[in-house]
Amino acid sequence: MTQIDPRLQEALDGERDPATLPAGLREAFARLSEAAQLLRDPPAVSVAERVMAEIRLDATVPAVSPLGAARRLVTWLSRPRAVTLRLRPAWTLALAAALAAIVLLPIEQSIAPKAHEGIAQFVGHFPGARSVEVVGSFNDWRRGALPLSDEDHDGIWHGAVVLPAGQHEYMFVVDGERWVADPLAGRYVDDGFGAGRQNALLIVRP
Amino acid sequence: MVNDTSSDAVVVARILDGDGEAFGIIIRRYEPGLLRFATRMLGSPDAAADAVAESLVRAYRHLAQCRDPEHLKSWLYRITGNRCRSHIGRRHMGDIALDDAPPVADPADTWAALERGEQVALVERALAALQPEKREAFVLKHVEGMSYEEMAAVTGARIPTLKMRVHRAREALLAALKELV
Repeated sequence: MTQIDPRLQEALDGERDPATLPAGLREAFARLSEAAQLLRDPPAVSVAERVMAEIRLDATVPAVSPLGAARRLVTWLSRPRAVTLRLRPAWTLALAAALAAIVLLPIEQSIAPKAHEGIAQFVGHFPGARSVEVVGSFNDWRRGALPLSDEDHDGIWHGAVVLPAGQHEYMFVVDGERWVADPLAGRYVDDGFGAGRQNALLIVRP
Repeated sequence: MVNDTSSDAVVVARILDGDGEAFGIIIRRYEPGLLRFATRMLGSPDAAADAVAESLVRAYRHLAQCRDPEHLKSWLYRITGNRCRSHIGRRHMGDIALDDAPPVADPADTWAALERGEQVALVERALAALQPEKREAFVLKHVEGMSYEEMAAVTGARIPTLKMRVHRAREALLAALKELV
């Protein structure tokens, strides 16, 4: 294989007007351009029906996740509506007692893990960040499901969640746009989409 | 409401909001390019169709992981490129390409005298002889018409590396075409 003239490379990269090339190089330019053109013929097949049929059968995909329904519910709930309650005084007292019981229950009880679950704690140092959240395989990489908090504004963001025992991949999303693998995770796996990116790996034990 | 003129980000948001049928817009938009790319990478239309179908289903299932829906195209090409590399890894590229290629033209013919189908077969044969990284770089640059920045987003390689691959691919192709015709 012989090295071709740098001027031809420049012309093929669009950095030089091909008309300025010597005749021999113009011929090579035309040959390569024509070869590329021959490879641009559109494909005669389509996989559209096959793909759509497969994803319609799939019940675990984002399109049928509860997120859409949840958003519609939030929209419905956020609209002002008139609500009238007609209760006997005895029922009113019972309702007040039930509400008080709920408020007074320790929060930890409601997130207590079951036998096959564990508590995952997330901590990240992101000074100056406006928001930090965790997305991962455990929440279908859905944004907004697990925000971290930094009450004392020291740049250390933290949060906890109950997860099923086992391995989970996750990433921090900083300020809603920057995806960062947890530098403290210790374990990482390729994200499967090439480009050498890695997700942090979390192992939850019951 | 989304349609064929909606941006990728709007269509992706719609799909993630529960409208799976909107993925059809994404397929119509990118399927021709992805199939062409995979066909040139694998040298076989059937293998390319399998690779693209698998890639699109995978993309749909992991759509929430697309970190930048405005650059959905690069993401889809990256998934498809990975799938192609996986196919290539499972079998010897040269065997498939040569099996599928039409008969080589009479060496006495000149390039201009060849039928278009024969010209395509010759170019495909020369392309199939390239190493996968160079073949990918040439196809993304000259067949899919991507900038080096887009190619970097698809392959994860650095721009100088990609330029070098494209340059080497051109040299090899030019030499092969001179030899074949």
